[in-house]
Amino acid sequence: MSHAEAHLDKLPPEPEKATLEGRNKVLGFWLFLGGETVLFGTLFATFLALRGSVLDGPTGTELFDLKLVAAATFILLTSSLTSVFAVQAMHHKNVKNLMIWLGVTVLLGFGFLVLEIYEFYHYVHEGHGFTTSAFSSSFYALVGFHGAHVALGVLWIGLLIIQLKVKGLNTTTAPKVYVASLYWHFIDVVWVFIFTIVYLMGKVG
Amino acid sequence: MAHSVKKYRGLMDWITTVDHKKIGILYFAAGGLFFVIGGIEALLIRLQLMFPLGADGESWLLSGQTYNEIMTMHGTTMIFLAAMPLIFGLMNAVVPLQIGARDVAFPFLNSLGFWTFFFGGVLLNISWFTGTVPDIGWTAYAPLSGTEFSGTGSDYYAIGLQIAGIGTLVGGINFLVTIINMRAPGMTFMRMPLFTWTSFITSGIILFAFPALAVGLIYISFDRLFDANFFVTATGGNSVLWEHIFWIFGHPEVYILILPAFGAISEVLPTFARKRLFGYSSMVFATALIGFLSFMVWAHHMFTTGMGDIANALFGVATMLIAIPTGIKVFNWLFTIWGGKIRFTTAMLYATSFIPTFVMGGVTGVMLAIPPADFQFHDSYFVVAHFHYVIVGGIVLSLLAAVFYWWPKMFGRMLNETLGKWSFWLFFSGFHLTFFIQHFLGLWGMPRRVFTYLPNQGWDTANFVSTIGAFFMAAGVIVILINVIISIKGPKAPADPWDGRTLEWSIPSPSPEYNFKQLPLVRGLDAFWLEKMDGKKEMTPAEPLGPIHMPSPSILPFFMSLGLFIAGFGFMYRGYEFDSALINSLFGNDIIAILGLAITFVCMFLRSVYDDHGYHIEVEELQKEG
Amino acid sequence: MEANQEQVQDRVKRGTIHEGPKNHIIAFVISIFLTLLAFMAVANTALDATFIKIFIVILAIFQAVIQLAFWMHMKDRGHFFQILFLATGTFVAITAFIMAIYWVWW
Repeated sequence: MSHAEAHLDKLPPEPEKATLEGRNKVLGFWLFLGGETVLFGTLFATFLALRGSVLDGPTGTELFDLKLVAAATFILLTSSLTSVFAVQAMHHKNVKNLMIWLGVTVLLGFGFLVLEIYEFYHYVHEGHGFTTSAFSSSFYALVGFHGAHVALGVLWIGLLIIQLKVKGLNTTTAPKVYVASLYWHFIDVVWVFIFTIVYLMGKVG
Repeated sequence: MAHSVKKYRGLMDWITTVDHKKIGILYFAAGGLFFVIGGIEALLIRLQLMFPLGADGESWLLSGQTYNEIMTMHGTTMIFLAAMPLIFGLMNAVVPLQIGARDVAFPFLNSLGFWTFFFGGVLLNISWFTGTVPDIGWTAYAPLSGTEFSGTGSDYYAIGLQIAGIGTLVGGINFLVTIINMRAPGMTFMRMPLFTWTSFITSGIILFAFPALAVGLIYISFDRLFDANFFVTATGGNSVLWEHIFWIFGHPEVYILILPAFGAISEVLPTFARKRLFGYSSMVFATALIGFLSFMVWAHHMFTTGMGDIANALFGVATMLIAIPTGIKVFNWLFTIWGGKIRFTTAMLYATSFIPTFVMGGVTGVMLAIPPADFQFHDSYFVVAHFHYVIVGGIVLSLLAAVFYWWPKMFGRMLNETLGKWSFWLFFSGFHLTFFIQHFLGLWGMPRRVFTYLPNQGWDTANFVSTIGAFFMAAGVIVILINVIISIKGPKAPADPWDGRTLEWSIPSPSPEYNFKQLPLVRGLDAFWLEKMDGKKEMTPAEPLGPIHMPSPSILPFFMSLGLFIAGFGFMYRGYEFDSALINSLFGNDIIAILGLAITFVCMFLRSVYDDHGYHIEVEELQKEG
Repeated sequence: MEANQEQVQDRVKRGTIHEGPKNHIIAFVISIFLTLLAFMAVANTALDATFIKIFIVILAIFQAVIQLAFWMHMKDRGHFFQILFLATGTFVAITAFIMAIYWVWW
């Protein structure tokens, strides 16, 4: 057994909750997600209020391409699963698998971003710019804010992989992994409501 | 095991500190400074309204534009930059001590919260020097805050508050986690002092209210800087939407302010009446209920927008419901001092005067909650009188009580009682002189937010009286400032100057950086009082003496906030026409904004990559300090 | 390495660490199923528009709850404050929805 493995063996079963700092971080992040709920709630509410104000621009029914949305949904959903696998690997103290699953999550998140950028580019081409109407402003604010969260998450988890590589898994890095995975799941939950309320309801009219 | 840690001195010590007590003092200093600025603005407002419009049609002091600017900055400064930080200062100074904790949960974030608030406030006030001051009222109603009707001043408002708001949100999360996770052994939730309870609920309200403000301010900024259409009616936006978003945040905000004030009163009264707080559990319940209801009453600010009678009735009734838990509190306070051995110290004077004053503000609140009556009161001086009764008569009076009560613990020096009483009588009488008559001004038809009025409408004398009162209040504040200055050389404070009941009085004044040498064992409500009644001088320790882990100081929060500050300017002036082509291209191409954000992100990166192991204070050192 | 795995199995039994991937995969399959259902409901032009809207929102809420419970471990013990604060945030968000639907335009 190598030195690193001996160190891992000493790590408690749930390393993210082993120290008070870790427990504080996890709880604090949960509370932050409670605040994020209101943040996205307000963005959603604005969208609901302004979705009818399309003026001369295209409506959601004309605009939205559900195949693209379905693909994006599938990608993000899968990435949420891979990030839960990452946390499981961490609980099994399998640092290699942990890094692999986080890497897969980052790749999927990146794929989602590419799709979203393509989608926005396409919409702007169709005459659905940020300044076109109140509908378009609120659409880009809500979906774009979610996209910004994904982008930040990709950078964050990417940085975490490097940290795991350099520092290894310990009671300082474990809460970071756990919290990042909470963040990623939360982004996925928000997306569930985005594809339902923005895209599907937009398609229904 | 001892890590060597770089210790800073002087200014660097204050910029890098992560000690909650020092951050509390920073909040006090910055909040006090902004309070004085806001107070000067208030005096200018009252001076302007002292006399009606002259016979020559000339305003005697301020132009309408300047008045609008001063009025906007008075409201914004007092709410966001004075009341909030003073409350955060108190929470920092008191809450960890009251729950028997060595520190807050996130010392680094605590510092970050302070610096973002500070830089946000500075950014807002820099508008005085650039000549583009917000002139849109503290509520920044659309479309007034849009590009059509207001200039760069509105950007200062939106971006300054955005940055300050980040700090508040971070601070709220910090105190929630501190109170949930860091309580001393035996300190159950129902043994927590009421100031800690109210801080807990207030932090919860902050967590859920401030994100709404953040979104609203982003919309204003987007509308102004990137031609979005959220509140622009011509392109399908809706200006009432801003009112809703603002008040979904704004109404909880006033409870964010008042609940810790309630908590402070609930600490001061039992101490100086030498009785336990009457109805502790009902006080906790009432606090939680007020916190909950605060999110369901926002539209009572909007009765006259035309939401319809169902919505108006709903929000009217919900608003009146708040009178019930508030009434519980008022009666509990009265029963607490009933039959007690009352000592009228300055803190107690402020606290007892708070009760009737706040009740008056509450009663006019219930009057305003009746929609048909509100149509008469709306936008009149009656409303001005109402909210100054709850905010000055409620929050400021209790904050002053809290300042006089906890000052010895925070600074290790006593404030002068004689000067304190002078300040109380000046401030208290001045307050009622200023604002009581404003109820009648409102009923006599004087609208709010006007910079002048015609003579002989029956308002002249009342306005004159009101302004005289404002000078009494100013005199009271000056006496307080003198008191603070001479307290630097004043008598040293003992550990327990007031014969206190809660844990903060069981440790020296000012408390050492680690607060508790050994964590105390809490055996019930009013933990320290219990021990004193058992004839003990100090708390029973819950742990053996051991090395104490401390977080290391950090300059990163300062630079993170500085980055946001710079980015704020970058965004504000991106469409501005400067004389210099170089400056134009720097702002126009968002280089300044990106530079600012880059500073912030680099700091975040450094914070993530370099682990802060902190350092230990060894047992020998602890014993040396006695 | 084998000893390590035995330890893991032991801890799973005692509940000190989380179970294997099975529950998470089930949650994933349910999520995919609910998503498909929502997309199919929208594609079905025979259905009433109001019904579809209510139906897909219910599906979304259901999916969110499942993901919160399994992937974010909310079903596990010691999550009182997490549930309390997320529920309160949701409550505030719902009031904002009601505002947006009923009290913005008239």
